[in-house]
Amino acid sequence: MDQARPGHDILSRTLWTSWIVALVLAASLAPARPRDAAAILAGQLIAALHFIFLRKIVKLFTERRGGAGLSLAIGAKTLLVYGGLFVLIRSGQVRYAPLCAGFALPFLSMFLKSMMLALGTGPASLTRRLTKGALGTFGGAGAVLLLLLPAKARAAESATELPNWLVILHDFNPNNPAIAWLENNQIIVFAWVAGFLFLFLSWLAMRKPKMVPGHFQNAVEWMVESMEDVCGGLLGPEHIKKHFPIIGALFFYILTINLLGIIPGMKSATSSLDLTLALALITFLYVQFWGVRNLGIVGYLDHLAGSPRDAIGWMMLPVMLPVHVLGELAKPVSLSCRLFGNIFGEDTLIVVFVGATALCLKASLAALAVPPMAGITALFMMLQTLTSIVQALIFSLLATVYLYMMLPHEAHAHEEVTSAH
Amino acid sequence: MLFPAALGLGLPLGIGLAAIGSGIGIGFLGKGAMEAMGRQPEILPKLQVAMIIGFGFAEALTIYAFVTMFFLQGRIG
Repeated sequence: MDQARPGHDILSRTLWTSWIVALVLAASLAPARPRDAAAILAGQLIAALHFIFLRKIVKLFTERRGGAGLSLAIGAKTLLVYGGLFVLIRSGQVRYAPLCAGFALPFLSMFLKSMMLALGTGPASLTRRLTKGALGTFGGAGAVLLLLLPAKARAAESATELPNWLVILHDFNPNNPAIAWLENNQIIVFAWVAGFLFLFLSWLAMRKPKMVPGHFQNAVEWMVESMEDVCGGLLGPEHIKKHFPIIGALFFYILTINLLGIIPGMKSATSSLDLTLALALITFLYVQFWGVRNLGIVGYLDHLAGSPRDAIGWMMLPVMLPVHVLGELAKPVSLSCRLFGNIFGEDTLIVVFVGATALCLKASLAALAVPPMAGITALFMMLQTLTSIVQALIFSLLATVYLYMMLPHEAHAHEEVTSAH
Repeated sequence: MLFPAALGLGLPLGIGLAAIGSGIGIGFLGKGAMEAMGRQPEILPKLQVAMIIGFGFAEALTIYAFVTMFFLQGRIG
């Protein structure tokens, strides 16, 4: 029965997940702030009631057995869900943020669930257990804490970024030096997290390589091969074999870091200029190294001087040399600033909208304002997914182009001009 | 005019101007790519790569303005 109706199955599973998350959260909050814990549970209860009644109503409605049962269900839902919310908020006993967080839990787990399904992980795969256990709990907890924190009015005012789990950990344990150190160096921590995630996924895909690949191996191989095709179209088949390891690693590493920022409670390490500058400098040094290696010292200097071949070329040397040197030096700057600016800008955009959501929470129409604002934020998160992919692609493609300019090709722009002369 | 006031007026204006330039550039790129795509659909993969690289260069100008804004933002009183 459940096999035939996957939607039904998902609803009950997400309800169970959200109950577990709510109970864990409430238990962890109870010693310090019992009222907030109770508010989370109340919000979860109301949301669960909402779903139960909704399912009932839809069932009655679609089976055309309307009449008394239907109006009874609608009446009970209105009374319990909306009336309960109204009474809870008007009584002044609970704070808005934990209540709304509890209310949002089932919606959140359903959203995560449907995202996982949309990404093609069917019911029988490894990721299902991961979602249900670790990712669902973790994502739910992260989002709840993310909603709790702006209520402290510290994060919303000064910082231009969402609190991540390190900041939250630091807030709860302000005197622990290890956590304070981690919070100070969170960019490094998240870069390492992304790196290990990248390594783990690659290991997972390739631990038992088969001639006829399974789902996951197939997907990873497709990604790597299409990236190699794109870069190979620029570099040529003989060079791509040599340079693809670093270009592909740059692409997938940046992609992992960027996409990590979408998970609530995590952060894109590329929203700091430090990391992007490091990546751009690595690219720059690699490109210069291969320039010297391919062209030789003389050829490299000749390339920097704009390849003077005649009298006019030599006369232009004092102008062309600084221009080319500056052009080379501008490459890492533009690479790093582009990546940083895009990711940071997108993060800021989401912060602004989440901040607006937090403001709406304080208004008395809290329950009505949350869903549209959450929808707008989710839309921007889709935009963020697109930006993440495109920026990772642009970074690695530009690295390829810079590398291509340093190869002993006959297709150099200024060489063509001089040879045509 | 006070320095913070000038900064507060100039930074958003600067970003807007930079965005106009980038927008025109990206628009031209997109137009050219679309026309080429319509004429020769078979060059689509190569065209897309070149188009995205061009977008990256055109977009970088606005990003520079954006970064400048973030560096100077704190000095608006």
